[in-house]
Amino acid sequence: MKWLGLIATAFTGILLLSATPYFPSFGDPNSPANAGVNGGVSVSQYYITETYTDTKVPNIVTAVLADYRGYDTMFETVVIFAAGVAIFAILRSFGGTTIPSHPTAIDTSVEGDHQRIIIGMTCKLIIPVIQLFALYVVAHGHHSPGGGFQGGVILGASFILMALAKELDTALARFSEKRYLALACVGIFIYSGFGLLCVALERNFLDYGILHRLMPATDEIMARSHSMLGVEVGVAFTVTAIMFAIYANLSSKGRLEQGF
Amino acid sequence: MIVSFDLVILVFLIITAAISLRVRDLLSAAMILGVYSFLICLLWAEMGAVDVAFTEAAVGAGVSTVFMIATIYHTRRRSSD
Amino acid sequence: MILDIIAILLIVAGLVFFLGAAVGLVRFPDFYSRMHAAGKGDTLSNLLVVLGFAIHELRHFDGSADVIVFCKLLAICAFIMLTSPTATHALMDAGYEDGIEPVIGEDGENALAADRKKP
Repeated sequence: MKWLGLIATAFTGILLLSATPYFPSFGDPNSPANAGVNGGVSVSQYYITETYTDTKVPNIVTAVLADYRGYDTMFETVVIFAAGVAIFAILRSFGGTTIPSHPTAIDTSVEGDHQRIIIGMTCKLIIPVIQLFALYVVAHGHHSPGGGFQGGVILGASFILMALAKELDTALARFSEKRYLALACVGIFIYSGFGLLCVALERNFLDYGILHRLMPATDEIMARSHSMLGVEVGVAFTVTAIMFAIYANLSSKGRLEQGF
Repeated sequence: MIVSFDLVILVFLIITAAISLRVRDLLSAAMILGVYSFLICLLWAEMGAVDVAFTEAAVGAGVSTVFMIATIYHTRRRSSD
Repeated sequence: MILDIIAILLIVAGLVFFLGAAVGLVRFPDFYSRMHAAGKGDTLSNLLVVLGFAIHELRHFDGSADVIVFCKLLAICAFIMLTSPTATHALMDAGYEDGIEPVIGEDGENALAADRKKP
């Protein structure tokens, strides 16, 4: 069986390697992806030249992700939501064998556990900065690298850090199960709500330009930029909630107590 | 794009990937996979795809390593093969 | 020019300390002394290298962009200063709770074991 696997791997590797000489070289202006086929304007060329006039968003990646390929990102968010729900469905156990006598809350006074005091103080200093940075990444996503996914992961990681440094209960007291499940759904609703608003205003799904009727003092182009920010916020909500939900369920075997 | 820098990173990528597959201790394997993620993040940042590198640093090296360690903590630490 | 020299000196000093930390990590006998090398060496060398980068950013002092990058690198310095020793401390403490014994010399008393016997 091992030999069979080796042969299959070697065959695939040789196949892949034999295809590499036919690739265009890095940054080749004459490759089909950059120059277009049969003299037409290629997609990437269009993005590079027209994104700023279309949407007033300097970061092309965010514009492609949230506007030109809006469906894709929406269902990426749904995939993350589905992953979280799957882990919730598999791991979460209600009732059953409750662990007796939860140890009393960690004593963070000076006489208490010195290890906890150092780590707890550092986390107290660090976590607000991490969360602020996450919000910056979300809100600044169309001017600099970043966006909903990255910012959401960082925001979720700050809660995970809180759970790691103190107890899972400390983090759950701030971000309870009810809240994170609600937040995950709200994120998806924000995203699809932007799409449905466009449909209600008689445009295509996720065609943000028409939303300037609802936003004061914007034209069609700025409405796209602002809607992208709204959509990114929705993505960030879902990703934050699902990241913390996955960690909370994994670390406590789905009991949401006594996790580390 | 600096070709020699790319080559060094790619060689280290292959080494870390092979080690994380071969090592018996699953905790070490998870940590080495984190190293792999950071290397690929470096490669992408160096190629100019900063958004992708950012995602890889946050998701691949940060959160997924934590998830793997949380899972290993509740299962067995030794791999059977 | 003078800023370039300072930056190069800082970065080279950081690399020397990195080398020391790496050698210590390989050569030291037990968990605690290894963490000692890794924690202190890493913190100091990271700080020196990032400070070197920060000063290198100031080399032609004409626009505001350089100052912004300088401030960001200084912020990174502050975070390394906070988090790196804490991470070392957490790792050490996890090792202590896990019951890793330090290597003790001929006449040395195992202070850690005596401490553990105390209730």
